[in-house]
Amino acid sequence: MKKILIANRGEIAVRVIRACRELAISPIAVYSECDRSALHVRLADEAYAIGPSAPRESYLRIDRIVEVARKSGADGVHPGYGFLAENEDFAAAVGDAGITFIGPTPAAIEAMGNKTAARAAAKRARVPVVPGTEEPLAADVPDRDIATIAARIGYPLLVKAVAGGGGKGMRTVTDPSDLPNAVRAARSEAGAAFGDAAVYFERRLAQPRHIEVQLLADEHGMVLPFVERECSIQRRHQKVVEETPSLAVSPALRRAITSAAAAVAKAVGYTNAGTIEFLVDESGGAFFLEMNTRLQVEHPITEMVTGVDLVRWQIRIARGERLDLDPERLLAPNGHAIECRIYAEDPDHGFLPSPGRIRQLRVPSGPGIRDDSGATAGLDVPIFYDPMISKLVAWAEDRPLAIARMRRALREYLVSGIKTTVPFFRWLLEQPAFVDGRFHTTYLDEILKLRSGRPFVEPTADAEQLAAIGAALDAALSAAATSAAQPASRSSERFSSGWRSQARIEGLRTL
Amino acid sequence: MLARFARVAFDALMQYEVEVGGRRRQVVITREGDGFAVAVDGATKHVDVARIDGNTLSLIVDNVTPADITIAPAAAAGHMTVHVNGTPVSATLNGRRRWDRRDEGGEPDSAPQRLAAPMPGKVVRVLVGVGDTVQARQPVVVVEAMKMENEMRASRAGTVAEVHVREGMSVEAGAPLIVIQ
Repeated sequence: MKKILIANRGEIAVRVIRACRELAISPIAVYSECDRSALHVRLADEAYAIGPSAPRESYLRIDRIVEVARKSGADGVHPGYGFLAENEDFAAAVGDAGITFIGPTPAAIEAMGNKTAARAAAKRARVPVVPGTEEPLAADVPDRDIATIAARIGYPLLVKAVAGGGGKGMRTVTDPSDLPNAVRAARSEAGAAFGDAAVYFERRLAQPRHIEVQLLADEHGMVLPFVERECSIQRRHQKVVEETPSLAVSPALRRAITSAAAAVAKAVGYTNAGTIEFLVDESGGAFFLEMNTRLQVEHPITEMVTGVDLVRWQIRIARGERLDLDPERLLAPNGHAIECRIYAEDPDHGFLPSPGRIRQLRVPSGPGIRDDSGATAGLDVPIFYDPMISKLVAWAEDRPLAIARMRRALREYLVSGIKTTVPFFRWLLEQPAFVDGRFHTTYLDEILKLRSGRPFVEPTADAEQLAAIGAALDAALSAAATSAAQPASRSSERFSSGWRSQARIEGLRTL
Repeated sequence: MLARFARVAFDALMQYEVEVGGRRRQVVITREGDGFAVAVDGATKHVDVARIDGNTLSLIVDNVTPADITIAPAAAAGHMTVHVNGTPVSATLNGRRRWDRRDEGGEPDSAPQRLAAPMPGKVVRVLVGVGDTVQARQPVVVVEAMKMENEMRASRAGTVAEVHVREGMSVEAGAPLIVIQ
C-alpha cells in the first residue's frame, strides 16, 4: 500500500494521516467547501475538493469519493469514524474500484452495522442482549402500532437509529405521549446523519454502565480483544469522558466480556478494528448493546495503556498481515488513561453549539498528555459537522495520578474565540462521584440537571480585577502601537511619544 | 534614548472604564519604571507587561504574580472575553453596555416573548403558525446545527403573533424566529 485516501475530516483525518506518515504511505485528503483551510488538507500530500459543506453533498458522497480515490491512484481508503465509516455500500464501492477498504468486509458491516441484525448475531453467539424490538420500525408504521410495540417493550425506552452511533438519532422516552415526536426527531436526525432513517426500540436499563471491548481481527482468523473501556460519562447519550481500565470491571467480568466480544466477532467473520459495546447493570450482568464496525473516537486511551497503535494495525491488517500481538498484554493494562472530548459548545448555556473562528489555541502537553486535534488558531469550526474539536488524553501509572494529570492539562488548555467544554471538564474532574468512580450512563445528565444552569466558570474577584487590568492595558498598548505607526499630531505629541516608545519596546519583545 | 521617552511617558496617563462582573471599574494607567502603575478604582498595582502576540499579554503583578491575559473581542463593539490564566471573563471596555443573556431576564410577564436562534443553523421544522395558542414548554421551532436538532420551546403560554422563519431557512445567531404574545 503506497497511497491512502482518507474519507473524513477533522481530528480523525489528521490521526490517520499521522499513521500513514509513520508507515511511509502517502496520505490523500478530501474536503468540502468550508474545510478548505482545515488541518487535514494542509498535512496531506494531495487534497481534493468533493463538494459543498453539507455532509450529504460532500463527505457522504460515495460516488465522488471513489472517483477521487481512482483518479489519485490510491490503493487504500480509510473511512475514519462517522460519515461513511459504517456504510456497506461505500465499502463495496471501494472494493469494486479495485481499492482496499481499511475496515471490515461489506457483509460484516451490514451484519453488525444494522443494530437489529447485530442483536440477532449476538444472540446466536449466546451473548445476552438488552431487551428490545427484533426488527426495525418501517417508516410507514402508523403511530398507533408504534405505541403498541413500545408498550410491549415497556417504559422508559430508547428510540435508536438502526444505522446509529455517537448518540445521533437517539431519544429517551419516559412518557408514552412523547413517543410520536421522539420517533419523528430520531428518524429525521438519523436520516441526516447516516442517510438511513430507520429506528428501533430498546429497553432502558436502570443505572447501567457503558463498557466496551476493542477488538482487532486479521484476515487469517485471529481475533484479539483488548482491556475494556469505561464510557459511562455521557451527556444525552453522547460519550464525553472515557477511561481504561474500568473501576467497575473485575478480572472475572473482564474475562467474560472480552471472550463474549471475541465470540460475536468470530460469529460474523469480522476483520479489522471494531468495538463491542455492553451495558453492565448494578449486579455486574453484561448485555450486548451493539457493535461499531470501525475505529472508535476513544481509541487513543486503549493505545496509551497497551502501547498498540490501532490505526497502524488497521492498515497492516488491510495489507493482509497477521496479528502477532501477545494476547495477554492486551488484557493487562499498563497504568490508566482518561480522555475528555473537547467540544465547541457553550457549557454555560445548555451546551449549545458554539461554531466560529478559533482566535487563540494553547494546547497542553508535557508528561503523559496527548491531544488529538484537527483545530488550529485562525480556523473556523463549521456548523455543518460534529462539534468535537479535540480529544485530550491523560495517561499515568494509576487512576488518581491520571486524574491529577488531566486536571493539570485542562488548566493549561486555552481556546478563545469560541466557547468550549474545557471549563465543564475542569468542574467534572473535581466531582466526588467522578473521583470515586461512582457513576452510570445517566449520572452526568442527572447532576447537570441539579446544577440548573449555574455557570461552570465563576471568576474569582482576583480574576475579575486582572481582566479589567488586562483589557485596559491591551487597549492602551494597541492605541500606542497605532499612534506609533502614524505621525503624531502636534497637540498629542508629548503624550503619544511615550506610548510610542512603549510600542517600540513591545515590538522588540514580540520579535 | 529610551530613558528620555520613559521620563516623558511617566507623565502620560490613560484612562478606561471597564465593566466586569456587572460592575464598572475605573482603570488609570501610568508609566512606572519599566512597567506601569495600574489603578483600579483607586487601588494601584505595579504591572510589568510583555506582549506575547496580537491577542496575548503576559503580566507580572507587583513583581511576583504572573498572569496570562488573552483578549477575544466579541461581535458587539467593546465587548470581549478576557481569558485570565485560561478562565474566561466577560468584559466591556469604555463602559459600553455589556450585552449578555442575563440582561434579558428583566422582561415583565406581559411583554411579548421573542424567540431568537441561539446559534447559527438551519430551521428544520416550524411547528406553529400565526394565531396558534401554545403552552409553556411547547416546542415551536426545531433548529439544526452540527447534526443535532435543538427544539426551541415557548417559555410560557400565549398566542403566536409572528413567525419569521420557514422550514429549510438558514439563520444566524440571534435571528428572530417567533414572537409569542
